[in-house]
Amino acid sequence: MGSAQVRQTSKGKLPRWLTSEHPLPWLFPVTSILVVFGLYPVLYSLWLSFYKRNPATRTEKFLPSWNWNKLIGDERVWDAVTVTFTYAAIALTIQLVLGMLIALLLDSDRRGFGLFRALMTLPLVVPPAVTGMMFLLMYDSSFGVISNALYSLNLLSPDHPILGSGSTALWGVIVADVWQWTPFMVLIMLAGLRALPKEPFEAASIDGATAFQSFFFLTLPMMSKIIALAVLVRGIDLFRIFDYVKVMTDSGPGTATETLTAYAGTVYFKSANFSYASTVALATLILVLVVSTVFIKVFKIRF
Amino acid sequence: MASVKISKLEKQYGAVKVLHSLNLEFADGKFVVLLGPSGCGKSTLLRMIAGLESISSGDVYFDDVRVNDIHSKDRNVAMVFQNYALYAHMSVRKNMAFSMRLKKVDKKIQDEKVAWASSILGLDDYLDRLPKELSGGQRQRVAMGRAIVRDPDVFLFDEPLSNLDAKLRVQMRTEIKDLHQRLKTTTVYVTHDQIEAMTMADEVIIMRDGRIEQSGSPMEIYDRPDNLFVAQFIGSPGMNIIECQVAEDSGVLYAVLDTLCLPLPVNSNVSPGQKIYYGIRPEHLIAAKAPMSFGSSSERLKTESGVVRVVEPTGPEIHVYAKLAGQDVCSISRERIMWAPGDEIFLQPDLQHVHLFDGETQIAL
Repeated sequence: MGSAQVRQTSKGKLPRWLTSEHPLPWLFPVTSILVVFGLYPVLYSLWLSFYKRNPATRTEKFLPSWNWNKLIGDERVWDAVTVTFTYAAIALTIQLVLGMLIALLLDSDRRGFGLFRALMTLPLVVPPAVTGMMFLLMYDSSFGVISNALYSLNLLSPDHPILGSGSTALWGVIVADVWQWTPFMVLIMLAGLRALPKEPFEAASIDGATAFQSFFFLTLPMMSKIIALAVLVRGIDLFRIFDYVKVMTDSGPGTATETLTAYAGTVYFKSANFSYASTVALATLILVLVVSTVFIKVFKIRF
Repeated sequence: MASVKISKLEKQYGAVKVLHSLNLEFADGKFVVLLGPSGCGKSTLLRMIAGLESISSGDVYFDDVRVNDIHSKDRNVAMVFQNYALYAHMSVRKNMAFSMRLKKVDKKIQDEKVAWASSILGLDDYLDRLPKELSGGQRQRVAMGRAIVRDPDVFLFDEPLSNLDAKLRVQMRTEIKDLHQRLKTTTVYVTHDQIEAMTMADEVIIMRDGRIEQSGSPMEIYDRPDNLFVAQFIGSPGMNIIECQVAEDSGVLYAVLDTLCLPLPVNSNVSPGQKIYYGIRPEHLIAAKAPMSFGSSSERLKTESGVVRVVEPTGPEIHVYAKLAGQDVCSISRERIMWAPGDEIFLQPDLQHVHLFDGETQIAL
């Protein structure tokens, strides 16, 4: 009755598609944000990538395949792809295993575990750039704690700067990423573990399963969807890695830690070749889409 | 197969004691039912036998072997849970073979055992399905299949039928009993359903608040309840209980409440003035449309008149709920007397089946 009355009084004042009964007013805010900050930049990048830009003369010429051909022939791009995949694969594996192990440790109703679960999330609130700076200081070869610890344990020679050497720089960046993002994995795994029903585990225990057998035969399969989702979310994130690299190594030494997004940034800001930078960025997007779609199909993830 | 002995078993959660020094012995091959209202500790007791719950004090023995410190995986018990506790990601076949897979039993023997169990339980057509593709009754059977392939020393059932609908429950009841008669494995069965207990058990153990109230064969418990709680808990509809006082009239004892005057069996162990609970099962409270005469002693055994409140025909019997001197009573008769609410009803207890309980201790007199 109430809504009928409202409709009658508002009749003639507002068109129907502007009233709260119509879906349009509800969709408008999020749609406009997506269009302005999501769709427009992608389409603009696409448009840019079809132009050959001359940074010196600051002129553009419509040559649709120029940048894409350049991309395929660009060895630095392939290097960056390798670095990105290596970085993502190593960081993801460590975060996944560590996340699961820590979650298993914290999955308890005993007193005090709630506090640990809360403390665990602290690294997540630190801005990634600050994390990068923090690790930069800890890696410093004269006063950094991590460097000094490794030197005194004879695991590293003192004339070997962690971020300054091609063989260890990527690992240095990965450690910072792992420190910051493992808690995210822990959170997802914990949510999954705590939601598991208890009875099948009791049944397994009576069926004669050891703790290890319970984990491999029950916990892992029952958690598979959650693990797959965590891998997907973190994987996409790791693919777009930019901040740690920018702050800690700036793609160096040489191009040892140059990821795809870092390379796109370099092309954009240092060479001012906007159209080629857009092409590299789009290539990253396409790569992420392809890999994650295959992953979703293979692991049958449903949202 | 094994006998189970429980000695001075206690369970405490912090300051709360849920089991109070229990002593029990289940002979080998018996079907024992732990019966009691929810929260009485029956499931906790079962879980302690299974090894899923720690023991605060006391001992559990299987065939004179103390199993307190033996992990549940090494106790060789099989358990069926209320909500089935199936492995959701495994097929019926894998669910049933899981314990053998853990023990690395020969694949051929695994297949044979699964085939044997599935033929007993009628699961042959469902072996490759996932639990989510089965009905409640079928899931329950898979849980039982998982238990019987083990050749366990003891079967433990934790309210296995309470998630099933009424008809299926009756059917599964028979199947479980049949299974026990075939396998003859010691079985401990927890339920709050007294019909389940009565129909299935060799021995019923009635628990309340972590204590054993009475144990014995179903009929023993039904016919000779030790106390008021057991008398009221067993039987459906429950025993009629009237709180009254013993009075004497010319050398004959009666149980009196206001205008109500109930006859007492001869040789009752009561004295005038004593407060008692007068118990009579509905089927022993005889109802009639007119006052009944009882031969020579008709004077003494006067019938009481009441008013019919509700009539429930069940088919074989008619349950009549009536008000008798302000008390709600129920009478069951197999005669097809047509009652209507508001009718006058004459009730007469069958003196051979009267149960008397002390007014204070509530213990049978």
